Amino acid sequence: MLKEMLRVENLSSGYYRVPVLENASFSVHEGEIVTIIGPNGAGKTTLLKTISGLIRPSSGHIFFDGQEISGAPPHSISRIGIAHVPEGGRLFPNMSVMENLLMGAYGNREVLKTGVLDEVFELFPRLKERRHQLARTLSGGERQMLAIARGLTSRPRLLMLDEPSLGLAPVLVDTIYERLQMLRERGLTILLVEQNVPHALRLADRGYVLENGRIVLEGSCTDLSGNSHIKRHYLGL
Amino acid sequence: MTDTLIQNLLNGALTGCIYALIALGLSLIFGVMNVVNFAHGDLVMVSMYLTFWIGLGTGIDAAITPLLTFPLLFLIGLLVYYAIIDRTLRQRYVTQIAVTVGLMTFLRALAQLIWKAQPRALPYSLIQGSIQIGSYTILASRLVSAAVSVLVIFGISLFLSRTWAGRAIRAASDDLDAASLHGVDFRQTYALAFGLGSALTAIAGGLLMTFQQVDPTMGVRFGLLSWCVLAMAGLGSIPGLLISGVIVGAAEAMGMSLWDPRARSLVIYLLFILVLWLRPRGLFGRK
Repeated sequence: MLKEMLRVENLSSGYYRVPVLENASFSVHEGEIVTIIGPNGAGKTTLLKTISGLIRPSSGHIFFDGQEISGAPPHSISRIGIAHVPEGGRLFPNMSVMENLLMGAYGNREVLKTGVLDEVFELFPRLKERRHQLARTLSGGERQMLAIARGLTSRPRLLMLDEPSLGLAPVLVDTIYERLQMLRERGLTILLVEQNVPHALRLADRGYVLENGRIVLEGSCTDLSGNSHIKRHYLGL
Repeated sequence: MTDTLIQNLLNGALTGCIYALIALGLSLIFGVMNVVNFAHGDLVMVSMYLTFWIGLGTGIDAAITPLLTFPLLFLIGLLVYYAIIDRTLRQRYVTQIAVTVGLMTFLRALAQLIWKAQPRALPYSLIQGSIQIGSYTILASRLVSAAVSVLVIFGISLFLSRTWAGRAIRAASDDLDAASLHGVDFRQTYALAFGLGSALTAIAGGLLMTFQQVDPTMGVRFGLLSWCVLAMAGLGSIPGLLISGVIVGAAEAMGMSLWDPRARSLVIYLLFILVLWLRPRGLFGRK
């Protein structure tokens, strides 16, 4: 088994005093793609936001490479190699595509010298064509590609994606997942939060099922795909 | 009659470029951290007094003083940010308004205490003479002030688009959470925006002192007119800011020459209300 990269222990978190996430524990190993699936409102987004520091946990621990990072501010968490692509992309609408990509590397500028932009453009050629356009003029699919690309320009060790398929037409979802497959082949470690369960289970190695703020099920994606609860509630079989 | 009007319009339009510069500082602060800074105009007043003070004490010309007052006002801006603004960011709007209004009152009282209530002006300026165009006279000091304002505005716009710090300011203004997720320390960026926004009043103050006098109560007027310029321009358009500055400057001059010199603030108030009523997002704004 490869080295453990991210470990979350008994994590509870929420907004103000409303608990959303309760006692969640899971881990992501180097080179692995782990998915967290679950219905709307289960706490998936809260989980990612707590890891990246946008929300402070109310209790529990988060370790990255064995170092405790829970409670650290988001800018320092991004600098140690965790990139969070938030739900809906959250681009900088009044900045160009190129400026958005540059901002992706803000906390880790030296990597721009390593040709990371060329690699990103190779993965998303559309963005190269549109690099001088303002982000708000992009189509929905292009926005999502830019959001993922912006997450990659810092050369993160862990890429966290929040619902990359949200609001996209099925053909675009396929395109996005093709690109994620390419990233997997390059050995990138990914934590994927997704409502689109069939796609997530096909891409990932392991999965956790989050319901009502608690992890209720975990296992390899093959096992999860065969699980009767998953089949009935998430795959509609 | 028309001659005086056009003469006044020209003067107003040139002064309007300085107004745009003041409003640019305000838009950096409001656009990035959503803080309504009521004390901004009073920083212009303080800058004018500092210019007056330095000019009287050392003989350094008002047009050059910004080299000294710009870093000073930048530091004052940082101090105000960390001492006051930073603590109220998560408070209710009323609290934020209360502290900046408090700062405004404080600065005015301080100016009255140190420099007394009578208007002060510098007796001379490096920029002498005037240019004659047909029957109109343009003071060289006004022309140079307008030109410097436009150059500084252009410089700031380059800073915002070409430097890491500038892009961080724009990113934070577009989406603060997303900016934090990519390594932007919001506190640092806010402090920079507040410092820079305040420092721009140093340039404006120096330029204004080349042809104007200063008194402790004039901060309100600058505050009001810079809000008016910003409301007219909307957020995010630097050329729009310049055009709006010129419109406000010209409107003010027109009101003074056609109506009554004492009506200058009234004209700006009316314009402000009109803009908010008809185009609440401004003429050039993006959202």
